[in-house]
Amino acid sequence: MSGRRAALKAIDWVSFAERVPPNQKSLFNALKTRSDGLAARLASLPEKPATIDWSYYRRAVAKSGLVDEFEKKFAALKVPEPVDTQTSKIGTQEQEASKSAVAYIQESKARIDVYEKELEKFKNMIPYDQMTIEDLNSVFPETKLDKVKHPYWPHKPIAEL
Amino acid sequence: MLSRLVFLPASALKSSGSLGAGLVQAGRCLHTSPQTQAPVPPLPEKSGKVRHGFIPEEFFQFLYPKTGVTGPYVLGTGLTLYMLSKEIYVINHETFAALSVGAVLIYAVKKFGPGIAAFADKLNDEKAAKVQEVKDVAVKSLTQAIDDEKKEQWRVEGRNMLFDAKRNNVAMLLETNYRERLHMVTNEVKKRLDYQIQLQNLHQRLEREHMVDWVEKNVVKSITPQQEKESIAKCIADLKVLAKNTQAKASL
Repeated sequence: MSGRRAALKAIDWVSFAERVPPNQKSLFNALKTRSDGLAARLASLPEKPATIDWSYYRRAVAKSGLVDEFEKKFAALKVPEPVDTQTSKIGTQEQEASKSAVAYIQESKARIDVYEKELEKFKNMIPYDQMTIEDLNSVFPETKLDKVKHPYWPHKPIAEL
Repeated sequence: MLSRLVFLPASALKSSGSLGAGLVQAGRCLHTSPQTQAPVPPLPEKSGKVRHGFIPEEFFQFLYPKTGVTGPYVLGTGLTLYMLSKEIYVINHETFAALSVGAVLIYAVKKFGPGIAAFADKLNDEKAAKVQEVKDVAVKSLTQAIDDEKKEQWRVEGRNMLFDAKRNNVAMLLETNYRERLHMVTNEVKKRLDYQIQLQNLHQRLEREHMVDWVEKNVVKSITPQQEKESIAKCIADLKVLAKNTQAKASL
């Protein structure tokens, strides 16, 4: 009897939908339709089954002991609850997702640091019209001409002019 | 001229130490004080102001306190007259060549100068704009990337909702299954009881019909042939009377 009344958590589908990235929208829609279908099925079934009017049947059926026997057996019958096999699996999935989420957030933070460093470099750069070639080479090392490898002007292969 | 060396960074000086014998020896380090490590001041946009194309404005300002506005012009006129009269400058055919060339040059510069200057400025501006655009695009894309990363982090926080939804689904399935089972049990019991009642009804009906048939059969059997003949004769007499009545009604 303990597992039967597992309260259904109210899910805010709107805010859930906001957090879904665009490439997983179809999966989200499939999940939502499935959940809605299940909810509809659940709502269509009444909670308690229809009660059997034993007195009417006792009067109507001629056989004497039949109705009483049925009533006794019916009251003694216990319908077994269906066994829950999936919840533990969902729990392990959730933990794995948490771990991978933490790892992803770390990587994301590292990426943000790299981007912010680049942004600082651009923000603190001196304006182009006050730069000399040395300043340009210090800000953008890829513009430095290799005078050792190509000692003669233009200090880079002709194809790259 | 040496003053311009102040503006060059120290590394360039060191590398050009092998030039100019009149300059310092290679071993000594020049320009190491913090004053010379300062960043280069920006280049001025326009050159110094000049009057008449080649005389700096500072010369006029220099003479202004002592000789006023006309000072430099009087000086110039006096010097020219002195040179001509004392024949320090001799007028010959080269003078006229110089004057003609000078006239043409001045005309050309005055006519085409601004246009060419604007063209050169435009070239420069285009280069500057291109480089600036590179910088702007880079800054924009970096800020965009940072925003996207933050958004993705926010999205990750919502991952629990997925598992809540899954658990809900499982619970709903279980509950539905249980209720279906209950309903099935009740329905089956009801069906069995109803079957019994239907069976009883059927029995009663069959008995009733059988009894009626039996009673009918006995009654028919009990009618004697004499009674039958009498009843048939009476029926025929009744029919004749009826026929006569209807014929009378029809002829009326």
